[in-house]
Amino acid sequence: MRLNINSKYYEINSESDTPLLWVLRDELGLTGAKYGCGIGFCGTCAVLIDGKARRSCITPIGELSGKNMIITIEGLSENGLHKLQKAWLEIGVSQCGYCQPGQIITAVELLNENPNPSESEINDKMSGNICRCGTYNKIRQAIQIAAKE
Amino acid sequence: MKNSVSLERRNFTIGAALGLGAVVTGISGVSDLFASIDKFDKEKGAFSIAPNIWLEIRKDNTILITIPRSELGQGVRTSLSMITAEELDADWDKILPVNAEGDSKYGNQSTGGSTSIRVFWETMRTAGAQVRLMLVAAAAKHWGVPANKLRTENSYVYESQSNRKISYGELIEKVADIPIPDIKSIKLKSPEEFKIIGKTKWHIDNPDIVTGKAVYSSDFKLQGMKYAVVIRSPHIGGKLKSFDDLDARKINGFIGAYSIPEGVAVVANSTYNAFKCADKIKTEWIDGPIMNVGSDIISNELSSLLDEMPDLPANTVKSFEHIYEVPLLAHATMEPMNSFANFKDGKCEIFTMTQNPQTARSAAAKALGIGEENVKVNVLLSGGGFGRGHRNDFVAMAALISKLSGYPVKLTYSKEDDIKNDFYRPMSVHKVKTGIDKNGAVTGWIHKVASQGTVKATDPQYDLPGIKNLDVAKNYGIPTGSWRAVNNTQVYFVNESAIDELAILANVDPFDFRLNITKDTRLRRVLETVAEKSEWTRKLPKNSGRGIASFAGYGAYSAHVVEVTLSKAGELKVDRIVAVLDCGIAINPGNIEAQFMGAAMDALATALKSEITVKNGRIMQSGFHDFEWLTIKEAPKLEFFVIPSNESPGGIGEVGFPAVSPALCNAIYNACGVRVRKLPIKHTSLKVM
Repeated sequence: MRLNINSKYYEINSESDTPLLWVLRDELGLTGAKYGCGIGFCGTCAVLIDGKARRSCITPIGELSGKNMIITIEGLSENGLHKLQKAWLEIGVSQCGYCQPGQIITAVELLNENPNPSESEINDKMSGNICRCGTYNKIRQAIQIAAKE
Repeated sequence: MKNSVSLERRNFTIGAALGLGAVVTGISGVSDLFASIDKFDKEKGAFSIAPNIWLEIRKDNTILITIPRSELGQGVRTSLSMITAEELDADWDKILPVNAEGDSKYGNQSTGGSTSIRVFWETMRTAGAQVRLMLVAAAAKHWGVPANKLRTENSYVYESQSNRKISYGELIEKVADIPIPDIKSIKLKSPEEFKIIGKTKWHIDNPDIVTGKAVYSSDFKLQGMKYAVVIRSPHIGGKLKSFDDLDARKINGFIGAYSIPEGVAVVANSTYNAFKCADKIKTEWIDGPIMNVGSDIISNELSSLLDEMPDLPANTVKSFEHIYEVPLLAHATMEPMNSFANFKDGKCEIFTMTQNPQTARSAAAKALGIGEENVKVNVLLSGGGFGRGHRNDFVAMAALISKLSGYPVKLTYSKEDDIKNDFYRPMSVHKVKTGIDKNGAVTGWIHKVASQGTVKATDPQYDLPGIKNLDVAKNYGIPTGSWRAVNNTQVYFVNESAIDELAILANVDPFDFRLNITKDTRLRRVLETVAEKSEWTRKLPKNSGRGIASFAGYGAYSAHVVEVTLSKAGELKVDRIVAVLDCGIAINPGNIEAQFMGAAMDALATALKSEITVKNGRIMQSGFHDFEWLTIKEAPKLEFFVIPSNESPGGIGEVGFPAVSPALCNAIYNACGVRVRKLPIKHTSLKVM
């Protein structure tokens, strides 16, 4: 099968039950989406599929086709210039950084749906993404900065 | 805490400057962490010079700084680079931190106990200053002027009078003839001269992190490598009796299943296929030693070990004796433990997320039955650590699986495997017996702790008479290990809660009570500052309360005030956390604040709801869905203040944790009169008066 990832077509050899996460990581070497829990709970594996943040660890590629537009953190912008990436750099959100690609991808969906979210709207949308280092205050702040841009 | 500056390396490097070997070229999606290795052109001559083991200067003026400690998110690649670049007068934009492999020549590489800055502060400053002197001497010789007419800035040597300048990179060949300055002759900068230290630098890897290019342990890839997972006993301490891989062999991508000391290792052509194969393997296990044991039984048995307590002095007129308890905790790093290993021709190369590459090296050597000199451990970024990476079970296992399968392998623990086979923060039960005389002065303090054997009571940070710290043990064989702030997560919860109870017994304000029992000026200052910043005496609304606690350790002092509100239904809301830190010289202030924010979230999560429990000899939790952690919704704002200081820098990572849970429980008492003595708080019903 073929998948459209970051505006590029890839011929995929993995079987159809394989979650997109492992196709990205093991087969294609796109390691920006991370393995955190494997049950869609923590959000480290989030990628955009047709503009929606989806948990790639529980999305078998059999549910997808070449018509789906898949965007991973690597394809979000040229050189980290998406407004959310810039905001993340401006206030130094990351500690270990492992969850941050998933946080940014989820925030992209948030701003797509709601360009000027309130603090509680940010909390609602982002509450499914766990950060074990406790960067939540800065995630909230960075989303607000990006929303203003 | 000094490491001697080693000068054993002083050579021009031709080619692979980082010495990572051929394996590196197999990395896919390589970031700047390993950049430029293949860009060297032999015809251009010397590529770089490494005057000591900490620094390497390249012709293009890039400066490589050796980072002996593991990056777990605490910012060590940035902060150690800052202190080295400071003395070198280096151009920050051309710094490239390079992780040291595990080797005793780098000194103590155990990333724990908030020691990275304290251990390497002088060493790496000296290394930077030493190389700067050599560059100045080389420029002086080149221009034929006295060295004292030259100054350095942004990786250039300047001659003040003529406005001449030459880059460090252009001097590398000339440096080779310069005698190495004696360490004793090196004068380090005084704090007023700092240009880099004291000004926030966000993590040097952030641009790679937000674009997905950063290489974590689990991102490492070598062409042709295979993927391994492990199946382990469902019971603590259970052993493999037999396994049957007939059904797994039918799955595409299956490579092999191997009996290892921990259970069964399964190797396949992808991580997912390895998990799939593991699901199809039938296993039989020999029971573990605690099949009838659960957390409730352990709690009761440990409590009963505390029955006998010594007496308080005869002049005690009021006293209490209370039991406190904290549960097992998992590290639950975002990145489950994993390691790459390539065993070939009697040698093994590792790429992993260890917190100590030297012990990882010995663990792998032992598993393989080879000498340590045949093992090389390279450290990649870790998706969190919190102490988990001090155990190198995953490294040893990966090495063995590579040997058994004959392939380079990457071993990945599933989240469930990671949570159920951790080395947990120990569970402990504590009893504190203390009291006051007729004037309200403390008469004695007896703190006895029961655990599996590793938890020890320590002195409260105040001047108390008659302190007795006692401990008793019963070992159930539950694996335990170090967990952020180690002993202090339990002991300070107990000490600072009991101090609060003592203040209430004496009918003295808990802040005043603490000031009355310490003469330590640094401790007094953080307490006074946190009281001032939080407006300690400001009246709070009904059903709200505030609590205070302090911590002294790791070369630093901290104090926290927590404010809470309880709803009519008894729901607890943390409104505010105010933290004050005295860590001596604050090297990277923004990062220090971030560490304090993170530590506060850790402490809140574990105080409010996180726990690991045992039932019938099994660990009951398997992921963030049942080992609950804070979400963004529950994350309060942190108001943070650093006391300005020119004292030597202290630790940070652990320091922000221990005072938070007692301050929180003290606030709950202040709000509703319910004293929480058992964590997590979710087990206590909080009633509004």
